[in-house]
Amino acid sequence: MTAAGKGGAMLEFKTSEPLTLGVELELQLVNTRDYNLTRGASDLLAAVAKAKYPGEIKPEITESMIEVCTSVCGSYAQVRAELDEIRKVIADAAAKLNLGVAGGGTHPFQKWSERRIYDTPRFRRVSELYGYLAKQFTVFGQHIHVGVRSGDEAVRLTHALARYMPHFIALSASSPFSLGADTQFDSSRLNVVNSFPLAGCMPFVRDWEEFGGYFGEMRGLGIVESMKDFYWDIRPKPEYGTIEIRVCDTPLTVARAAQLAGYAQALAAELRDDRTWSPHPGLYLVYSYNRFQACRFGFGATVVDPATREHVPLGDEIVATLTRCLPRAERLGAAEALTELLKTAVGRANDARMLREVLEKHGALADVVRAACEAWTRP
Amino acid sequence: MEDLAFLPRWPLAANQMLWVGVLLVAGIAGGEAVQRLLRLPRITGYAAAGIVLGPGGLALIDRPLLDELTVFADLALGLVLFELGQRLDLAWLRRSPMLMLMGVVEALGAGLLVFFTLSYHFGQDPLVAAVAAAIAMSTSPAVLIRIATDLQAEGQVTERALLLTAINGIVAFLAVTVLIPWLHLEYRGGWETMILHPLYLLAGSLVLAAAAAHVTLKLAQLVGKRAGLQFIAVIAMIVLTVGAAVALKLSVLLALLAMGVMVRNADRQRHFIVVDSGDAGQLFYVILFVITGARLDLALITAAGAAGLALVLVRFAGKALGVLAFAPLVGLKFRQAGLLALALMPMSGLAVVLVHETASLYPEIRASVAPVVLAAVVILELFGPIATQFALQRAGEAAAERA
Repeated sequence: MTAAGKGGAMLEFKTSEPLTLGVELELQLVNTRDYNLTRGASDLLAAVAKAKYPGEIKPEITESMIEVCTSVCGSYAQVRAELDEIRKVIADAAAKLNLGVAGGGTHPFQKWSERRIYDTPRFRRVSELYGYLAKQFTVFGQHIHVGVRSGDEAVRLTHALARYMPHFIALSASSPFSLGADTQFDSSRLNVVNSFPLAGCMPFVRDWEEFGGYFGEMRGLGIVESMKDFYWDIRPKPEYGTIEIRVCDTPLTVARAAQLAGYAQALAAELRDDRTWSPHPGLYLVYSYNRFQACRFGFGATVVDPATREHVPLGDEIVATLTRCLPRAERLGAAEALTELLKTAVGRANDARMLREVLEKHGALADVVRAACEAWTRP
Repeated sequence: MEDLAFLPRWPLAANQMLWVGVLLVAGIAGGEAVQRLLRLPRITGYAAAGIVLGPGGLALIDRPLLDELTVFADLALGLVLFELGQRLDLAWLRRSPMLMLMGVVEALGAGLLVFFTLSYHFGQDPLVAAVAAAIAMSTSPAVLIRIATDLQAEGQVTERALLLTAINGIVAFLAVTVLIPWLHLEYRGGWETMILHPLYLLAGSLVLAAAAAHVTLKLAQLVGKRAGLQFIAVIAMIVLTVGAAVALKLSVLLALLAMGVMVRNADRQRHFIVVDSGDAGQLFYVILFVITGARLDLALITAAGAAGLALVLVRFAGKALGVLAFAPLVGLKFRQAGLLALALMPMSGLAVVLVHETASLYPEIRASVAPVVLAAVVILELFGPIATQFALQRAGEAAAERA
């Protein structure tokens, strides 16, 4: 119990303005000759050093990757505007350096053995610990932060959102290709995340105190040092006062990235205010199965509803949920985001499908990356 | 003894193939030795092997034979120039015109300093000095591509070094072409040749390049997006174009470089996938460096060594000034710009080709300009690759430890 008490005390949950948003995107840096990943992060970061933009542009674990994030945004519109400003700054610098910048959850044909670790002590340590996993982890995701009022609310919302992770996977899926081949998955990126020992879901804890106990024990066992060591699909982020959704592939456009944040906000608001619902462990019986279905088949997946035990086509469920959340989104100023996502879901047209169509038409994976660069750079 | 007539007679009646084989094996062995024992780039070892076996060294390979082998070197250089041309991304230059200007200025800077040094300090004839200066503008594309590939170097210094190499190669060619009329005046006269010859060289080479690029893209479309087949198609077109340029007395340099540029930049339908010359392509580089080495004459170091060294130093100064002046305008830090200038040091294949192309038209050049330029080439053939390797490593862009 002392370990639990200690852990709880250390894990103070910082409250934040409820339903505020923050978005992080990991982006690919490629050359414009054969469109393979290239060593460009340090040059690009130097090139944007003097530019003015909201949020942050940061290095990631390899030289072929950068991470951008918005500031804490009050609305979908602000997320959209900030991402667009960041996009413009990066696109300008990349044009000068003749680098290509693209979204997409994986690079279609890179060889992980060719990647170079960005030179900081932390990245070197991670690389040493995980061996080839660190380089294989050259995958690109979007993280969405939603502000919550307390640790208890964070825990409850983390459980409540778990059921909807397949929605975010299907809507963002943009990693059909890996190592030069079609994986037949819409999101192959999440398969890479699975190999990490602390991937998966938060355990079934009921409130923040219980979570503190769990965290304290894991710390006591010497397995984790901070929340950063959990690679969960959704996790409470006590130092920001948010919950963080981490299942999304980086979409091909910043517009889609902002729309996903808008959906997360509206859905979180709905679930938070639904007092009829309470978390139950049965939720996690179907979790891995549903997640796999969404990764593999995208909108075409069949998922199991843990409450009704019905098998439902994921595409239909997404359309129904978006429609249900639309009035709330209107009040939050995110109606545009949900309408756009509805169009995508109705047309079953996620980014993975678009990338497959490019390959069909042009015949080479380099063409796929070129199309991805054009999609991301275009205003 | 007549029963043994099936045995070869001694000394062996050598054939080309045998000697190419000897050169290749010696080159590969020299490259490995230099890389392992001295930690220098392999290509320095290839060239050294050539020098040792060539007419200037053990004379195992004599001049007539070397002339016969030129066809192999031309082919290898054709591949190098094509690869370099592909690196010239016109869209990038349109977006960053300052980069284009940087290339022109560093080339002119090197050329002017070389010109003044040779004509004023060494008292060379101004025309001779001008031809030498024009030739000194170019950086060796083979060295740059090889070192960058072997080091797996990627980044702004590497990319710009390759781009500037393409630009200064073109500037050097144009300068030499502009000087040709004056050579006509000096040595033969006749205004028709004076105007028509440069025009023929320029327009003819470009037309040949355009035709070759067109056929290459058609071939690429025909075989589809398969790397192996496209590689063969490209090699075939390079052989054809080098042969055509030689037959038509056009510039192999401009034709192949322009062909590479056009294949990359005119490919609107994206039929052409970028073909990595890979392990098979390396063979061409060994041939090129060994033969270039064999052509070099170490005796020139004693004859024209001082002028050659002066040329090397002022050429570097000119390039460095040009690159540093434009550094802030193209978003390079000064440290990166300094390393970039250093990476541009090598001068070999192109200079030799330019000297020979000019000298074959005007043999008088062979005696006056050639020794100075070739002395500089000897120095840079050995030290240029080292400078480039050092620069790319210091820029933090190399993945491999040694080239």
